[in-house]
Amino acid sequence: MKIEETLEKLEEITSALEREDIPLDEAIALFEQGLTLAASAKTALDEARLKVSKVVEKAKGVLDLEPFDVS
Amino acid sequence: MAEEYVYTVSELNRTAREIVEGGLGGVWVKGEVSEISHASSGHMYFTLKDPSAEVSAVRFRGRSPILSAIEPGTTVLAFGKVTIYEPRGRYQFVATLVQPVGAGILQAAFERLKQKLQAEGLFDPEHKKPIPAYPTRIGVVTSPTGAALHDIVSVLSRRWPISEVLLFPSSVQGDAAAEELVAALDRAIQFSQTSQPLDLILIGRGGGAAEDLAPFNDERLARAVYASPIPVVSAVGHEIDFTMADFVADLRAATPTAAAELVTPDASDVAGQAARCVDRATRALYDRLAECELRLQAGLRRPLFRTPSRLLETAEQRLDLQVVALGRAPRRTLARPHERLARLDAVLRLSSPTRPLERGFSITYADGTSRPLRDARSVTPGTHITTRLAKGRLTSSVEEVDEE
Repeated sequence: MKIEETLEKLEEITSALEREDIPLDEAIALFEQGLTLAASAKTALDEARLKVSKVVEKAKGVLDLEPFDVS
Repeated sequence: MAEEYVYTVSELNRTAREIVEGGLGGVWVKGEVSEISHASSGHMYFTLKDPSAEVSAVRFRGRSPILSAIEPGTTVLAFGKVTIYEPRGRYQFVATLVQPVGAGILQAAFERLKQKLQAEGLFDPEHKKPIPAYPTRIGVVTSPTGAALHDIVSVLSRRWPISEVLLFPSSVQGDAAAEELVAALDRAIQFSQTSQPLDLILIGRGGGAAEDLAPFNDERLARAVYASPIPVVSAVGHEIDFTMADFVADLRAATPTAAAELVTPDASDVAGQAARCVDRATRALYDRLAECELRLQAGLRRPLFRTPSRLLETAEQRLDLQVVALGRAPRRTLARPHERLARLDAVLRLSSPTRPLERGFSITYADGTSRPLRDARSVTPGTHITTRLAKGRLTSSVEEVDEE
């Protein structure tokens, strides 16, 4: 899942929990789901390392990726 | 013979002015400047001449921001219109742009192109595409060896390393640069459409002299930027002037560093945002549990319900402890918000309300549903049920239903 979707889903769950119109057992399930999402967002942000690639035209109209070292 | 119409002097001057203004429109004039006078109003009066003629001219205050120092004797290229100053019946040239010849020719071409593209609607705000809030794939059109790429990569590594940079190399100065930039931009669009979608494209270079920035004033590049289906952000290093790419881009940044900062959120802010969600969710659940307990105490007196009530009390006490912990958390200064998130996460995990399962309670669901069973009457003998234990699940079939 993209980080944006994770954050949106987390926000959605939080708002649902704040609305109070859902049964308690569902609230607990949502809460657990929220924790999982928060943990996955944290992991994604912690472990991210910027990836840089160069896109080159191998032949006319054929694009290919090459790893690129900036330093 | 009809009587000839007799003009007043005012009418004569007004009519002459209308004819002159309407007949000539905006014109370029080249000439040598003499007799400059700066009025206290900020207007500049001067004379433009060539070897055999002269015309008085004025440049009104604030009309021409790119005016370099002009001295008597300078040959200039001026753009403006011809008019007649009615009170004096004096014919004059009203300049909106005055530039020394040389610098002026470049600048004049720039102004002409700018007016043309503006008239065609290439700068219209309605055409500008929004920049995604959390870009994950960023195309960069620039030189592989230039300062711009280095600056962009260093900002993104620090600020938003969850993204990926795809470099589309091009030269950024010299005669071939404009064409190469257009080709690289086309490749980026092609790549986005056929391989991996790009969230946005940064196009630019580090700072340089005016002539080094010329490729970014090229009409072909301006049109390619306008036509891009992907948002394009101009990242040309120059604080004062604008390039044509700046006017036509969906977003303009004054330097490549600024561009990288403008288009990305800060990862630690995002981690903080996630932590605040967990915070709110915990509070909401705590409120729910407190409310359920009240309902239980008020309405349910039967022995059967004492156990769940205690269960709730226990869960609630744990949440109480958490809330105390949460209350303290913001006051502690943690170096980074995602450290705070990690701490919250650990506290919450330890005291999850599903922990009673570990003490022998279980939750039963009718086959294929996700809602726990509360009432024996909602199933019949033969219904398949799933029981969730602290560890694992049991699937059984109902043999008998006792409604009590």
